[in-house]
Amino acid sequence: MSTDAARPDAADGGALAPWVGGYLRDHAIHIAVVAFFIVYPFLYDVLVGQFGLPAEMLLPRLQTMLVVLWLGLFAMSFDFVSGYTGYLSFGHAAFFGIGAYTVVLGANGQLPLLPGGLSFMTLMLVSALLAVVVAFLIGLVSFRLSGVYFAMITLGFAEIMYVASRNWDWLTPGQSDPSDGINTPAEFNPELGVPFVDPLQVETGVFGDDAILGINFGDLLVYNENLGAIVASYFAIGAVVLVCYLAMQRIIHSPFGRVMIAIRENEERAKAIGYDTFKFKLGAFMISAFFGAVAGALLVAYRGSVNPDAAFFFLVTGFALVAAIIGGLGTLAGPFFGYIFLEGIEEFLARGGSGGGLQPFLAEFLPGGILETTIGGDLTVSGALDAFMTGHGEFYAGIVFVIFVLYVPIGILGTLRLRLGTDSVATYVSRRLGGSTGTGGSGGGGDSGAGESATAAGSVTAEGGEEDDPREGGPAEGSEEDDPSEGGPAEGGK
Amino acid sequence: MIEHLLILGDLLDLFTSPSRLIAVLIEGLAKASLYVMIASGLTLIFGLMDVINFAHGAFTMYGAYMAGGLILAVGAAEMGFAMVVVVFLLVMLTIFLVLALVGTVMEVSLIRRLYEYPPIFQILLTFGIAITLEEFMRMFVEFQGINNGQYRFGWETPRLETVPTALRGATDIGLVRFENIHVLEILLGVVTIVAIWTFLNRTRYGLFVRAGVEDEEMAAALGINVKQTFTVVFAIGSGIAGAAGVILMWDPLWSVSVPLALAVLLPAFVIVIVGGLGSFKGTVVASLLVGMIDAFGTWAFQTGAITFTGIDDMMIFGILVVMLILQPRGLFGVEGQGDHG
Amino acid sequence: MSFLELEDVQTYYGQSHVLQGVDLEVDEGEVVALLGRNGVGKTTTIRSILQLTPPRSGDVRFRGESLVGKDTHEVAEAGIGWIPEGRRMFARLSVEENLRAAVPNATDVDEALGTAYDTFPILHERQGQRAGTLSGGQQQMLAIARGLIGDNDLLLIDEPSEGLAPQIVSDVGRALLSASQEVSILLVEQKLSLALDLADRFYVMDHGTIIDSGETDDVTAGDERLRRHLSA
Repeated sequence: MSTDAARPDAADGGALAPWVGGYLRDHAIHIAVVAFFIVYPFLYDVLVGQFGLPAEMLLPRLQTMLVVLWLGLFAMSFDFVSGYTGYLSFGHAAFFGIGAYTVVLGANGQLPLLPGGLSFMTLMLVSALLAVVVAFLIGLVSFRLSGVYFAMITLGFAEIMYVASRNWDWLTPGQSDPSDGINTPAEFNPELGVPFVDPLQVETGVFGDDAILGINFGDLLVYNENLGAIVASYFAIGAVVLVCYLAMQRIIHSPFGRVMIAIRENEERAKAIGYDTFKFKLGAFMISAFFGAVAGALLVAYRGSVNPDAAFFFLVTGFALVAAIIGGLGTLAGPFFGYIFLEGIEEFLARGGSGGGLQPFLAEFLPGGILETTIGGDLTVSGALDAFMTGHGEFYAGIVFVIFVLYVPIGILGTLRLRLGTDSVATYVSRRLGGSTGTGGSGGGGDSGAGESATAAGSVTAEGGEEDDPREGGPAEGSEEDDPSEGGPAEGGK
Repeated sequence: MIEHLLILGDLLDLFTSPSRLIAVLIEGLAKASLYVMIASGLTLIFGLMDVINFAHGAFTMYGAYMAGGLILAVGAAEMGFAMVVVVFLLVMLTIFLVLALVGTVMEVSLIRRLYEYPPIFQILLTFGIAITLEEFMRMFVEFQGINNGQYRFGWETPRLETVPTALRGATDIGLVRFENIHVLEILLGVVTIVAIWTFLNRTRYGLFVRAGVEDEEMAAALGINVKQTFTVVFAIGSGIAGAAGVILMWDPLWSVSVPLALAVLLPAFVIVIVGGLGSFKGTVVASLLVGMIDAFGTWAFQTGAITFTGIDDMMIFGILVVMLILQPRGLFGVEGQGDHG
Repeated sequence: MSFLELEDVQTYYGQSHVLQGVDLEVDEGEVVALLGRNGVGKTTTIRSILQLTPPRSGDVRFRGESLVGKDTHEVAEAGIGWIPEGRRMFARLSVEENLRAAVPNATDVDEALGTAYDTFPILHERQGQRAGTLSGGQQQMLAIARGLIGDNDLLLIDEPSEGLAPQIVSDVGRALLSASQEVSILLVEQKLSLALDLADRFYVMDHGTIIDSGETDDVTAGDERLRRHLSA
């Protein structure tokens, strides 16, 4: 994904200054993941080309991976505030929507004070800053509340924007129904890239560039030459998502992030230590709004249009929450993987017709006799597959989600961290590779086994038991809150 | 300027013409009745169990579909007015019992596992259940659509044709004009309020519920089986949610569809929060408030004073936000409830 | 077989090990005081008996039957009543409703209410009033009445004199004394004189275990033996 920066470094790592080696070690898992994402389109191309339908059934399509990029970024931005401060941002779709709508309206020249014809990158930045301002205003009134009330007031704001986006004529000067969504003008070509570096500009979208730096992806793909533009968009959008992830990860591991975690663990204590928690919560909310809006803008970068249900709708937040739980709330990267898992399942079970998924595979490989067998009445097996799978991914996603809540409440990445006994997978991998500095910034030990455990212990205290089962606090908390006059827990503490 | 004068004129018209005012008030009462029906189950469940049931709207949607199916199946469309209303009430009772059973199963098999955990886990669980239930109904509905003609009724259209003619249209009494269906809605709303109030205040079980709401541990230490109380309240709350779906099926503004689940859930949240989490009195007052504001908004839209089509939804969430800013506990909320995670 | 018997009870709040092996007994008809400084685990002992905070190991037996693993309401049905620290009224319920909630299912409610009102006439006067609006002393009377109306054989009473004026404390003391004629009592009380007046025997707790016990007749409130354990 980080097509331009990470790869050369990775190649020349040994020859550079020692800190580069240390840095690479710290980010080994990140580099591995990024490498996988870089290779994936070509892997998909070859595997599907070689093995046909079985591979197509199992592997998420490139279009799906592309969608996962911005939805995953959105889920990460949701996790940034909800998972790390413990304040459930139930109206987070507001920021996604602001990101998407601002870009589209800007492209249509409808934004007051802004000249028309701005580049996509500028519009994306404008939209993200606008989201920050809105988050500031919403946060100003909302962070006086907590728990359910906070969740509900943020939901209220998002719903007001949703209703407006469905009904406000101003959004669609051309008489069309705003609830159908709005398009960017045909001449608007979203370009992603490094500002002022012309060769690194990529026009995104289905009809965008199919080459970056002169490398034509259509040529690199052996079997699916027509997917070149999708792969180019995938890399360009992926690079933005990677930069956003690294920025959020940096913040989480900064002193600011540690205060966020302290607020989640025990806000009263954080206050008692002297932190103005209100400012930290507001700051975290504004930062997450920024990245949430970038995610929304990326949707437009590829699709070129937006509609209310894909932007401000309650379920946009809902599925970010689902992804966050599946991946692991409060793990930042977890929600991204959660979205891959979620979309993967939906695609596997619910995609009919051509393309990936279980059903076309069954339709092809099951003998016609079985497919035409009647189950009851005039319902055939093939009819049942059609009725109960095609387009009903949410049904299966819901079941998977319920199973996760009941049995894997800390999610995939959370469980992984618990198993590895570390505060983050990145730290663990770094340590296994012999590094002494964890990304958590905890004090380093030597490179011996003893050093390892010291680092682990250090990060556990530093991170405030981040990898704990979030449910563990439940029972004790419950008895504490049930009646303040009852001296039980306090007694225990002394 | 002229536009503003027109609005002022309409306002004057409304308040100088008692019949117009009464008509708007009746509509407000009818809307309030629907809100009471969709929100009180949520309130009961939250008040006792601190569980925000995201599957509530799905229960209402299931209630609406099942009611539509039942009423069509018994052929209510061809019956006389009195008979249809009797059938309607029987269907409502049936749906109440069916959904109460569904609620019982859900509480005992799933929700009960999570009481020890922070409330967010119950939100997540019920949200997952809601997604699953909604998509399952969509599957079923589309499946029926696939086999169109093979079955006695198509599910994809609302069940409005079962509404008896006597309940369609409007009636004039003197100068006051009101929708016929609103009379039934107001009656049902009153019945709902009286029934729940009686249950809470005049039965021994209701006493247990109120004791459990205040102090679960103390109630248990007095010998009250709080767990069982939870199950019963969850069943009743779910039953009410389903029964509300039966009347929504007949109301042209709501009718039956899968998205009804979310369309019910969000306003129900608003009512419950505005009234104060866990306060039944608050829910009744908030329903009245929101119903009336909704009715006046609709009136303003009809007169052309407001041209924004989403005005009623907009106002509902506006009320939520304003209430949370001014009085976070809602109208009758209790300190400490709903604050935690 | 003792009436109430705790054997090596170990209880945790999350990670913190609060009760580190508590052994104590209460015999039928007996009043036993549980003494100790703040935070040594007295309230937790009571919560462990009620299974509000179930012990992680050890056993709690009532009339020879283990209570561990039961629900709190089953413990209550077995005949154990709780008069908690801070009274814990159902503040929004009326005085009468507070009492009604405590009447066992099998008992005639009106008769039980009549008996309670005879014992505590002040509650009769205030029967329609919300419990939250009662004075501290009246609330304590209501809490005791709630314990007695439940047909209990053992009352677990936690800090009954806390926050009450001296005059009221003696009223409460009298009410407890008359209650002790009917039921066994395990009493947690900071006011040493009151505790020793009411109790037949005493236990002293520190750091989650019993460190001393004896007959109340053998000690006085000023005794070095008690002062050492109870003063900070």
